Amino acid sequence: MKSDTGKMVIEAERADEATIIMTRMFDAPIEKVWECFTRPEHVAVWFGGVGFTNRIQEMDVRPGGKWRQVMIPPSGQEYQLDFVYVEVKKPTRLVWQTSDFGHRKAGPPANRTEVTLAAQGDKTRWRMVATFQSLAERDFAKSMGYTNTLTQGCEKFNELVKTL
Amino acid sequence: MPPDQLSQTLSALADPTRRSILARLSIGDATVSELAEPYDMSLAAVSKHLKVLEGAGLISRSRESQWRPCHLEAEPLAAVSEWLEDYRRFWDRSLDSLADYLKTMKTTNPKPSRRSPKSSSRKLKK
Repeated sequence: MKSDTGKMVIEAERADEATIIMTRMFDAPIEKVWECFTRPEHVAVWFGGVGFTNRIQEMDVRPGGKWRQVMIPPSGQEYQLDFVYVEVKKPTRLVWQTSDFGHRKAGPPANRTEVTLAAQGDKTRWRMVATFQSLAERDFAKSMGYTNTLTQGCEKFNELVKTL
Repeated sequence: MPPDQLSQTLSALADPTRRSILARLSIGDATVSELAEPYDMSLAAVSKHLKVLEGAGLISRSRESQWRPCHLEAEPLAAVSEWLEDYRRFWDRSLDSLADYLKTMKTTNPKPSRRSPKSSSRKLKK
């Protein structure tokens, strides 16, 4: 059941990094949503989606603190995730990045994720800006006509909100 | 695409000269000297860039023709956009799951509020 709005935009203006922006409305107060992002017992439940399990090893929510966990998708293959918190402003702003951010290495592109929460009555507007290093090819991809693949605007309206 | 190759593609694309060479090749095949033309750069320097692009699978060079024109290979780029799309899907799924979870929290562990007057100390369960 889709009850929220999901949207991804890859901003074409920034030349050296790719950015994915997603927004959602959650039918819950801002403190609850914040809690869900910052307490291991909650993150373990929803991170990755249905069928995923997570073993949280460390969740030290303060600037410079570590967020380490093993994510296990339905396939059973385990993925070690290593993040570092960059900015923590309860309950409105949480920024973390992969621990290799700023260093070049093999593996998936390093990224920084900024989550901003805004209370709207009893609901919470959630906005994520994820920035990827080394994705400077966007301009080029755009010139190649890949923007249709790169820019996904999914207009899934929040039916739950409508029914309230 | 294996992660290491994804990195190789990304690192090849990180250089503005190489991106501009690829943009030129998106119009059509070109020889090394044609590619070198717009730059204040030696043929050797341009060849070096081409070698990196070739290593990343972003271009191929004809073996037959004497001029060995360079040809753009789009597949690694498609892999990059696929990777981004996967990332978006990951968060879409996670947020669906979080929205459901928040609903569970609301019914099993409500905060004192107008809509959920009961209080409970039960543990959260999914």
